[in-house]
Amino acid sequence: MSGLWEVLTEHLPEFSSGFFVTFRLVAVAFVIAIVVGTLVAAFRVAPVRWLNLIGGFYVETFRNIPLLVLLFIAFAGLRRAGVPISPWVAGTASLGLYTAAYIAEALRSGVFAVGKGQVDAALSLGLTYPRTLRLIVLPQAFRTVIPALGSLVIAMIKNSAIVGASLLALPDLLKEARQIQSETFQTTEVFFWAAVGYMILTLSATFAFRYFERRFEIKR
Amino acid sequence: MYVIDPDNWEWVWSGNSLRFLFEGFLVNLEIALLGIVLSLIFGLMLALLRISGSKLLSIPAGIWVDVWRNLPLIFIILYLALAVPSSWREAYGNAIPDFFPEALQNELVLGALLGLILYNSAVLCEIMRSGILSLDRGQQEAAASLGLTYLQQMRFVILPQGLRRMVPATVSQLITLNKDTTLVSIIAIQEVVRHGSSLTSANFFGGVQAPILQVFIMIGFFFIVVNFLLSRLSRRLEIRERKRTGTTLKRVRGLEDQVAAETDLADPGR
Repeated sequence: MSGLWEVLTEHLPEFSSGFFVTFRLVAVAFVIAIVVGTLVAAFRVAPVRWLNLIGGFYVETFRNIPLLVLLFIAFAGLRRAGVPISPWVAGTASLGLYTAAYIAEALRSGVFAVGKGQVDAALSLGLTYPRTLRLIVLPQAFRTVIPALGSLVIAMIKNSAIVGASLLALPDLLKEARQIQSETFQTTEVFFWAAVGYMILTLSATFAFRYFERRFEIKR
Repeated sequence: MYVIDPDNWEWVWSGNSLRFLFEGFLVNLEIALLGIVLSLIFGLMLALLRISGSKLLSIPAGIWVDVWRNLPLIFIILYLALAVPSSWREAYGNAIPDFFPEALQNELVLGALLGLILYNSAVLCEIMRSGILSLDRGQQEAAASLGLTYLQQMRFVILPQGLRRMVPATVSQLITLNKDTTLVSIIAIQEVVRHGSSLTSANFFGGVQAPILQVFIMIGFFFIVVNFLLSRLSRRLEIRERKRTGTTLKRVRGLEDQVAAETDLADPGR
């Protein structure tokens, strides 16, 4: 039996490759989530009724389905239906689209926080609605939702473990930890180091978003 | 089209497939209900420890909470499934009362329940703590100057007001908990995801093929219905409280796992 340190030093390659798989998964899913989330938020605040309905349908669907079920639909389901989707694409897309629903809601509340007067002012200056959103509303909305985005990213880091544990079997940090555990049977030691890996990710996300919050603060 | 082709939905109205799926879903709801009740109790206890004046209590409670809420839930569940000694599991199997649903009598459920409770009580603790801390200091000072003991201050002044503010955040955390019950399928508990997977294996209920895409869309639909009702319930509660107390309700949000900033559709000012 080797101790806590030996487990890390002996299995460092597996741990670090798992760590970077988790990191890549989160990074790609974050980009998808921001892009789709912004789009859906724009749909939800648009002055067109059927766009609102589409946005609302998206949010209610993706927010209320468990991520694990989404992964089954996106991977096993689509494959059976004849779509040759790879585990990587299914994993990042599911995680990204799932988080996008939350980001859309956060952005929407940020948009409402901007105030109707600003929108009216922009429209009366002759800006089109999309330009008003892009130039006036969204820059301010993003600022007010930075803390919420931070906790969503942390939740996404934690949710990324579901992708590795599910049928997709991407070799992420949790998957590698389980692999090492099944070879060494040192459950607590192995899971301790995996926990450290997840803590590194969540804590750096916390600090990064705290920095952004200060950096983009509106000085009054 | 493949998704809406009636042939691919035939399993729903032939045989017992739908019933089988629904029985699995009931197991999820049972686990969620037990998890919700216990997480709320332990979350409140942790929150009281964290806000207590004694550093000896508040610092260990703070570390405990920060560790569990920063780890992925599936990670905790998998760890406990491997690490909980079998003697504990046997003790759980013996200790659980007979009137509990059969699915919860399974010894494997212990690891899943412990994981759900450790994680969610930590998250709920933070929500409750911020609800309590958002109250004006004067409330507690006034209660103390009226001669109430610490426990009376909590029971009659602080908690009724503080906990009311955290209803929306708590409900969205409970929705997350409800969704997270599917994770227990990974440690081989027979619930809706496992039942769904069995359904899709060939000839499960004589002849009719149940395509995996449609089965899991159906499972997703179950969850959408229940979670949608839960979020409606939260809004109703809030409106009722607002009418009853005649005030605009201040809300504490942002500490739940998945921040779902409910926008203020019910607000007249919007």
